[in-house]
Amino acid sequence: MKKRLISLALVALILISLSACGGSPPQSGAQAGAAQSGAQSGAQAGGSAPSVGATAFEQANAELEAAIAPLPEKGTGVKIGAIESTLANSFWITMQEGYEDAAAEWGVEVDVMATESETDIQGQLNIMSDMLVKDYAAIAVSPLTEQNMIPGIAQANQSGVAVVAVGNGVNEEAMAAAGASIAAFITSDFKAQGALGAEFVIAKNGGAGKVAVIEGIPGATQSDARRDGALETFAAAGLEVLPVQTGNFDRQTSYDLMSALIDANPDLAGVTCGNDVMALGVVEALKDKNMLDKVTVVGVDFIEEAKASIEAGELDASVAMSPYLFGKAGLLCALKAIEGHEFPEAVIWTPLSLVSAENVAGMDGWK
Amino acid sequence: MEKLRDGKPDNNFWTAILWQKYAARLLLILVLLAMAVFLSLRSPFFLRPNNIKNILNQMSAYLTLSVGMSFVIVSGGIDLSVGSIIAASAVAAGAAMKAGLPVGAAILLGLLLGALIGAVSGLIISRVGINALIVTLSMMSIVRGSTILLTNGKPIFGFAKDFTWWGSAGDGLINPPIAISFGVLILGALALERTKLGRYTFAMGSNEDALRKTGVNICLYKICVYAISGLCAAITGFILAARLNTAEPLAGSGYEMDAIAAVVLGGTSIRGGSGSIGGTFIACLIFAVMRNGLNILSISSNYQQLLAGLIIMVAVGVSELRRGRAREI
Repeated sequence: MKKRLISLALVALILISLSACGGSPPQSGAQAGAAQSGAQSGAQAGGSAPSVGATAFEQANAELEAAIAPLPEKGTGVKIGAIESTLANSFWITMQEGYEDAAAEWGVEVDVMATESETDIQGQLNIMSDMLVKDYAAIAVSPLTEQNMIPGIAQANQSGVAVVAVGNGVNEEAMAAAGASIAAFITSDFKAQGALGAEFVIAKNGGAGKVAVIEGIPGATQSDARRDGALETFAAAGLEVLPVQTGNFDRQTSYDLMSALIDANPDLAGVTCGNDVMALGVVEALKDKNMLDKVTVVGVDFIEEAKASIEAGELDASVAMSPYLFGKAGLLCALKAIEGHEFPEAVIWTPLSLVSAENVAGMDGWK
Repeated sequence: MEKLRDGKPDNNFWTAILWQKYAARLLLILVLLAMAVFLSLRSPFFLRPNNIKNILNQMSAYLTLSVGMSFVIVSGGIDLSVGSIIAASAVAAGAAMKAGLPVGAAILLGLLLGALIGAVSGLIISRVGINALIVTLSMMSIVRGSTILLTNGKPIFGFAKDFTWWGSAGDGLINPPIAISFGVLILGALALERTKLGRYTFAMGSNEDALRKTGVNICLYKICVYAISGLCAAITGFILAARLNTAEPLAGSGYEMDAIAAVVLGGTSIRGGSGSIGGTFIACLIFAVMRNGLNILSISSNYQQLLAGLIIMVAVGVSELRRGRAREI
């Protein structure tokens, strides 16, 4: 009996050891076009078409490297830890690729860890305190909330481990109160994402017409910023904006919203949505009402499905950010922090790109 | 099922039950030791004092929550509302401090709120006679919804040093969260195994009708059991809020499942009537070592969920198989 029990216990342990051996480094490196720095240091890519001979992704990559320049030294072999949100979301998986490919290119080691869910705030802090027991020279973290990683950051500061934040920021006030600090903050300008989409709608309709804004989850940082960016841009152009509707980042909710909205406002000229999933729901609703060609629909995120929809001529545009470059920027900034570089800019922006039918062909390989 | 007299197992069965209890316990300890040996061979960091402290510190919240859940499950019930109570009590304490209440009073208020929510669940379960799963499922939703409504979904943060001290990392091997969780563990074990309340909790789980016929006020004891669970959840919320210096309305989501997992892995029957706080403690240690080990070995969190599931399935499966065989004999 006892033998059987022990062998059962061993099965679990074998599983651990198998997975520990499986982590070979990924091969596909994004061959960065040499960092010919023509891009502005803010690295805000507008909706312009990519330059001749380079894909949009290569251009964005060059912009990012220019924004981070001078780039850190290669081949130092240091160990970097990275902490993300859940790998159940493809955004974070692509970001992990960005970390790992950049580590391979720069000749350093990186371990990327993720939380069990989007709300596992305590678990994410636990990952950080476990990492601090080990010998990482720097840690890049994408905090789930503005607060939850502060104790870990303070602990890292005490042990002389540099910390950079990627994606979500850390509450400055609370961090100062805890005596903690981060070396750099890399993120995407969520407000600019909303503004880019609105600019596209305005240009498409010749600066006139009635427009709508569908927000994601009120209170969520990126959702609010995208909404505000769109609202401000529409207001500056003097367009009539319908009251903001809440789509909760949900396709069905947005479908229902637009079905009602278009009946009440048959003269609607355009709508910007807080993400692609909602924009695709809107597209479906407009298709059912035979109104798709009258309304310009813009989403954010540039997910696979959005790309297919743009290619099919249904969705008009999507604002792309690059989770891959988030990871790469996180790694490079962590390396620079180890080298003792100061970061003069408070925030390092990752590139954005507005994708429509005109330039979607050049978006192959965007990640 | 054990025969009962005055809520006590018959003496003839006592030795068999002891053996049953400790054989299951032995299996858990073996799993724990095997994990520890494996991890210390695989990573030089595992046995460092800093890391041992990490494990205990990370376990403190789950342990506190699981002690309360042990009472509920031993009584034959279930409490799905604990994750929401974590957030509600922490937010209440946080809001009270922001409103100018002294730290001690605010902490007390949070703990009382947790116990009160639990007591209301217990009252509805025993008086109205609705299934515990349904009552606490509704309570989970009601409490979480109210917390998000009252805070507008925004966290309350920036507390006084007197409050955050309770969650501080500390210098030695012991810090306040670890001390609190072990205090709860010892008190819980004494209450469940040495008091009348504990005996009635076991009896409710194995044969509620028999207990009722002896004239025991079941309603009162059920309220006590769920109030203990609510109180433990509130203490967990207090630890988390003090540690993170923030009371998040979404804190504790899904924690009820972790607590149930630890209690069941610890050898407590999901049907109630048998179990121990000691078993829950070892199960919490197993999960904490597993999570820490996977982090130390830099293994994806996806494996954590898979492994936790496998461990529970195998351990509970084995103990059920043995129980079945014991019944045949």
